[in-house]
Amino acid sequence: MTRERLRGTRRTRSAWGGGRLALVLLLAALLLPAANHLVGDFGLLDPVKAIFLYAILGLGLNVVMGFTGLLHLGIAAFMAIGVYAFAILTADIYPFQLGFWPAMFLTLPIGAAAGFLLGAPTLGLRGDYLAIVTLGFGEITQDVLKNLDTITNGTQGINPVPPPTLPWFEHGDQGWMLTWYEFQKDAPLPWYYLFLALLVIIVVLNRNLEHSRIGRAWMSVREDDLASKAMGIPPVRTKILAFATAAALAAFAGGLWASSLSSSGEPANYDFQVSILALCIVIVGGMGNITGVLIGAIAVSGANDIVLQKLFEWMQQNGWTSTGSVFGSPNNWKFLMFGLALILMMRFKPDGLVPARRRKGGAPADPGPAAESSSHEEAA
Amino acid sequence: MEKEIEYLLQLLVTGLSNGMIIALVAIGYTMVYGIIELINWAHGDLCMLGAFLALTLIGLLGIDSWTGPLGFAGLALLLVTSALFCGTLNLAIDAVAYRPLRRAPKLTLLVTAIGVSFVLVNVGLFWGGLPMDVFSGGVAASAPKAFPPLVPATPLIGAEEGVRITLRDVLIVAVTLPLMLALWWLVRCTKLGKAMRAVAQNPTAASLMGIDTDRVVGATFFIGGALGGFGSVVYALNNGTISFQLGYRVGMDAFVAAVIGGIGSLPGAVLGGLLIGIARSMSDGYLETRWTNTLVFALLIVILIFRPSGLLGLRMKEKV
Amino acid sequence: MSETILEVDAVTMRFGGLVANENVSFAVGRGQIFAVIGPNGAGKTTLFNAITGIYQPTAGRVLFRGQEIVRGLGGGAVLRAVIVGLLTAFGLLVALHISDLWSKSIDDNYEYGEAFPYAAAVRSFFATLGGHFTGWGLVPVALGFVIGAAASFALSMNARRAPDLIARAGIARTFQNIRLFAELDLVENVLVGMDSRLKTGYWHALLRLPRFFHERRVATGKAMELLRFVELDKKAMERAKNLPYGHQRRLEIARALASEPQLLLLDEPAAGMNPAETVDLMRLIRKVRDRGVTVVLIEHHMRVVMGISDRIVVLQYGKKIAEGTPDEIKCDERCIEAYLGKEELG
Repeated sequence: MTRERLRGTRRTRSAWGGGRLALVLLLAALLLPAANHLVGDFGLLDPVKAIFLYAILGLGLNVVMGFTGLLHLGIAAFMAIGVYAFAILTADIYPFQLGFWPAMFLTLPIGAAAGFLLGAPTLGLRGDYLAIVTLGFGEITQDVLKNLDTITNGTQGINPVPPPTLPWFEHGDQGWMLTWYEFQKDAPLPWYYLFLALLVIIVVLNRNLEHSRIGRAWMSVREDDLASKAMGIPPVRTKILAFATAAALAAFAGGLWASSLSSSGEPANYDFQVSILALCIVIVGGMGNITGVLIGAIAVSGANDIVLQKLFEWMQQNGWTSTGSVFGSPNNWKFLMFGLALILMMRFKPDGLVPARRRKGGAPADPGPAAESSSHEEAA
Repeated sequence: MEKEIEYLLQLLVTGLSNGMIIALVAIGYTMVYGIIELINWAHGDLCMLGAFLALTLIGLLGIDSWTGPLGFAGLALLLVTSALFCGTLNLAIDAVAYRPLRRAPKLTLLVTAIGVSFVLVNVGLFWGGLPMDVFSGGVAASAPKAFPPLVPATPLIGAEEGVRITLRDVLIVAVTLPLMLALWWLVRCTKLGKAMRAVAQNPTAASLMGIDTDRVVGATFFIGGALGGFGSVVYALNNGTISFQLGYRVGMDAFVAAVIGGIGSLPGAVLGGLLIGIARSMSDGYLETRWTNTLVFALLIVILIFRPSGLLGLRMKEKV
Repeated sequence: MSETILEVDAVTMRFGGLVANENVSFAVGRGQIFAVIGPNGAGKTTLFNAITGIYQPTAGRVLFRGQEIVRGLGGGAVLRAVIVGLLTAFGLLVALHISDLWSKSIDDNYEYGEAFPYAAAVRSFFATLGGHFTGWGLVPVALGFVIGAAASFALSMNARRAPDLIARAGIARTFQNIRLFAELDLVENVLVGMDSRLKTGYWHALLRLPRFFHERRVATGKAMELLRFVELDKKAMERAKNLPYGHQRRLEIARALASEPQLLLLDEPAAGMNPAETVDLMRLIRKVRDRGVTVVLIEHHMRVVMGISDRIVVLQYGKKIAEGTPDEIKCDERCIEAYLGKEELG
């Protein structure tokens, strides 16, 4: 009886704030291609597909930053590891040639292993020190991928990388046969729905972890690291699990990214800026809140890739740009606008866009007492 | 054998002088962290703007054609204006962007600092597009700019091929060492220094004792920025080129240096800076330049495993 | 007389020049309610922190059920260090020669369009690796081993006596400045306390296996029972930070009890409470003892201390100045002078 009552109230109170919004987003995403087709092709499917990937990356980072409260400035490193792992496992200049699904599946344990290896010696460090070290991961991974060019092809990248494939039935001479349909570059719809489906699965898995023993352990580390230890939560092991989970998700996103570009791109593409972008997605949306991350991905990546792009294109078409001075090219204003947006956001809406239930307002490294009880301490 | 030792010594000399520059910038980081626990992401980019200012002044006043004692005066002018500029800018940024967030969680501050960093980088980009000769007429705004060799690289001691100490090395030491000593004196012996240490340890108690914490924090930003400004001019003179992205590189090195030494500790920043300088030059000299960054970070990780609070960091015992 | 569950043996806590505890010794019997009192700054909380592993005693030891709670630095740690050292050495060797290894084992064996001979590749890999395992090549190997082993050992040393280890051994505590998990609700706070008793793990949660649901049901039931025990079950779904102060203290106790400890340390549980709440608290502490949990508390409220304690130890300036039953302490000259003063007793 207790459990039912608990379950009922829990459902009603907890997830609905974010959950309802998430369902709305899902609905919108499902219908977008239709809208795109009916209203007029704004060329949205490809960039929105990118939003899905950034959302996966953000969800991974959210496990470390939002749930566990650790500052992670190097998530791009693990994305790069996923990109290159996928590329090496599938491109035909290497012997493995595993195909889309096996390789994608393998990015998860590879990413997790990388997260474990890098995290095990360092996750005992204090918050700010850990942040610098994660920064280092980003730098090290970039350099390693670039310098080991006999393996990774260095700055040229690995191409081509195969697209996704799905089992498909074709009606041929002998009746229905099972073949594999390979996604085409010029048909964005299957990509869109596949990535959306994968995102939904990852959201569900994230939620599973959030509402579980490990999720509570992570949040206890975030809320009060010391009290968490005093309750018997093993700090390093808990943090490693978060780190490895984030790395696995980032690697997965990387694999999808490589597949969608049909190339690994060069190592410099997965630099600090990508890590910061992911950071902003998590923070802008509302840290710790899965729906918040989704909103954040839409807001940040959408603003960056879609809105700005379209704006610049339009400006160029209408002759609003000039090549004469540096101020003329809209591309040169990106950093400024992004920076100002961050500053203003932190000043006026530091808790993110989504009014979440499960977040502490930032502060990964703050132990902080649980309540405004300071006045009471002096009474004793 | 002699050649080997010469090579090593030369690497040490290079490493130490580069390390002093890194140390100077690292001190700016560590000071601000010590006082408000902010990783001032924008510090490196601030230094970048200082270098750009110096280049602009060279262009405006033609300092690169000043010789003799006038040349020294020109150098001094560059150093001082850059320092004042960076110090004031840092102070202004604190007043506008960070002060309203004093009570905010650290992450909010960090993201704000990142935002500031982006803004400064963009300013640097625009600056590089100014239609001045020193900026190549502003044609390629994002390209690196050559910084005139105001101080020649000819050796003072030693020969061109062997171990040499150049006028540049002397300049570096002549600028950085007195500044560090002056800072040491400031922090240890003056009222302001004492106030800074007090605020760093316990802001509430400090303000209860009548210390105006905002002013102290502002002073810290100013001094930290000024040191960075000095460092940026020296860096530009030593390096020969500046670009709007140099903030990232310089900032990263200084950052790692501050952490290796123990963040918040001034001697630690100096030690860290020297270590990084030497490590970089050793790596460039004996391994390959392309692995130097990796090596520096690997060194950071190994040091932190054995000394989790940095080399000279204080093991802070939290009051429970 | 009951067995001794906790023995503080000549514990000294020194922080640089400051001596917070000096040579403090006492023993707590199983099933007792034991109080630690003393003026502010006497070192009481520091002592608690030393007992629970937040600090390590500068001298002396803490025995729980007759033993120190430490992770051994013996065979296990050495073995771990050796393994890590070997792995680091191997990893370093591979890393240093990775290009060569890759080209010899993979590139050389790969014919476009043909099946890849994995066995041959593995053989080439180890052959090439062995080729580098000579002469100067051994230096990085040795270095890797040393660094890896030393690092592992250093990490083991840092984690010898950690709070989570002590908590899992059966000592739970509350804090002087309440340390709840503010954004979690009451049930979740208690469930975190229960973590050491839970069996399902990451994969059960991720994949929502049947065991997950079973344990969730059982654990939530136990958590509700604990909340009922501290009379907070009506607010089970509230966020901890929204609770009034007195309720937060009770929640902390429920959370601490969730790990089914044998020893519960309460740090000023009555702080900030009015007389009615204090009486409730005393009742609660007795109930806890009746559940079979030994209680050690730091307290300033003399009514509470005198009212429920079986034995009291008095600290001043870090030293123990008296120990005994409430009656003995009441009359002890030193105590009266040092601490009790003119305060009304009983």
